[in-house]
Amino acid sequence: MIFNLYIYDRSGTCLFYHEWNRQKQVDVSREEDFKLMYGMTFSLKSFCNRISPTDPNIGFTSFKTSQYKLHFYETPSGLKFIMTTDLQIQGDIRFLMHTLYKDVFVEYAIRDPECELNKPIKSKLFSEKLNEFIQKQPQFGNIAQTALSSIVK
Amino acid sequence: MKIYGVYIINRAGGLIFSRDASPKIEVEKTFSYPIDIKFKSYDEKIVVAFGQRDGIKVGHVVLSINGVDTGFQDEGRSYNMTKLKDGREILKILDDESSYPLSIKFGRLRMTANEKIMLLSMFHSIFAMSVQLSPVPRSSGIEVLEADTFKLHCFQTLTGIKLIVITDPRCSDMNIFLKKLYELYADYALKNPFYQNDMPIKCPLFEEKLTQAIDTSERISN
Amino acid sequence: MSRQSGRSNDPRKVSGELLTLTYGALVAQLVKDSESDDEVNKQLDKMGYNIGIRLIEDFLARSSIGKCKDLRETAEIISKNGFKMFLNITPIVANWNQSGDEFSLIIDNNPLTEFAELPDEHKSLSYCNILCGVVRGALEMVQLEVETKIVQDQLKGDNVTELKVKYIRKIEEAAPAGDD
Repeated sequence: MIFNLYIYDRSGTCLFYHEWNRQKQVDVSREEDFKLMYGMTFSLKSFCNRISPTDPNIGFTSFKTSQYKLHFYETPSGLKFIMTTDLQIQGDIRFLMHTLYKDVFVEYAIRDPECELNKPIKSKLFSEKLNEFIQKQPQFGNIAQTALSSIVK
Repeated sequence: MKIYGVYIINRAGGLIFSRDASPKIEVEKTFSYPIDIKFKSYDEKIVVAFGQRDGIKVGHVVLSINGVDTGFQDEGRSYNMTKLKDGREILKILDDESSYPLSIKFGRLRMTANEKIMLLSMFHSIFAMSVQLSPVPRSSGIEVLEADTFKLHCFQTLTGIKLIVITDPRCSDMNIFLKKLYELYADYALKNPFYQNDMPIKCPLFEEKLTQAIDTSERISN
Repeated sequence: MSRQSGRSNDPRKVSGELLTLTYGALVAQLVKDSESDDEVNKQLDKMGYNIGIRLIEDFLARSSIGKCKDLRETAEIISKNGFKMFLNITPIVANWNQSGDEFSLIIDNNPLTEFAELPDEHKSLSYCNILCGVVRGALEMVQLEVETKIVQDQLKGDNVTELKVKYIRKIEEAAPAGDD
């Protein structure tokens, strides 16, 4: 099950945030939540690069706690995609985020001349397409998953 | 599977035990003028910024030039790795055509004791943030952290001590080892009447038992 | 100019000639609106830059290429992947300087200049200056600061068009802003 998704530009501005099945809100404002998440992944990146026993190539990719898993994907241009899911999630989520980058972000944000690159994305079309993309993923939700498997049968 | 490091941090985020076994990564190569590697001076070190080849990687530090080690101890000032032992500045040597050919040794710098303390206290706060940012209620902090070159496994005891192991990235489950580590900590540190709670662990017996536990774990998982 | 090789099944590809004509019309209009050739060159570079900082994402997303290890790899990828994908040409990478921080992209069948001839009164116009901006903008987004300029131009009687790229520095990642 997918809980939420953050997209940051390389200077740490949160370009997009959406949640689907989030069950707990942080007790701070949205902006504070974005800042905390960016700060945490930034620290994780430098922590991993330094504590790594050998020369890192990609560095930090994910972590899990008792309740959720956080997946991190960064493009060479410094865009950061952060997704949290439940622990039952199957498949390669970093690949899913790359596909999201390619099929949704580039198509509906980068190619949109109205869209400023370092400001939160306001485009309705973008969020619609993104929602569509996420919700059609088999990992999206348990309900969707069971529905899908019953169709297959 | 290889165990690269074992760390224990107390409730306040202080490092009270560390043991690591990172492999030594060093490359020596002879260059003629002009050198096609880009350097930068960073944090009192000369670091490769761009231009990766023959095992020399971005982030590697210049360790010696023509056999002279880097690291200059200025009187009353801190240790400086932008200079050679004899006080010459590395960037100047690299820019000076007449000093070539140069045999330069590069390497990945191991963590210093201070760096370890800093990094583990950083993990302590990242751990707390991972709880706060959880999208679901009643989450623990980070249990497993994955990077391309290693996996970190963390077990927090009910008393708030964090036991951390760093392993090969292919290593799947370290719960047995972490539990063993907890036992050893309880037995050979806490039960030692001369050990003071929350202070660095300096117990030879603990070290010895830990070495055994690491050996066993590496053998079983291979 | 058609992107046959890069995306053969893409129904959205347009005729190469249309792009050549569009670009020509754009430069001509800029020349009309500006005081000097220099100003036009600057405008073209700026437009290219704005294209470059977006185009890089399209490029990275489609090609799944990771971070480059050195400038030689960067040069090869710009030529064999970048130019290939968007202009369907593969400039030759040449003229490396000794310290390996400067190279040229040699273009001999530049689609942008296919129908263009420089009028005598615009001898200092760098017709393809947009390419400089594109390369500079794209590289800036992958943490490479470079200087780019056209040093040979087929429109000025040279045999080839030569775009020179000079490495300046690696850009460091910004740390998160603190709470003020």
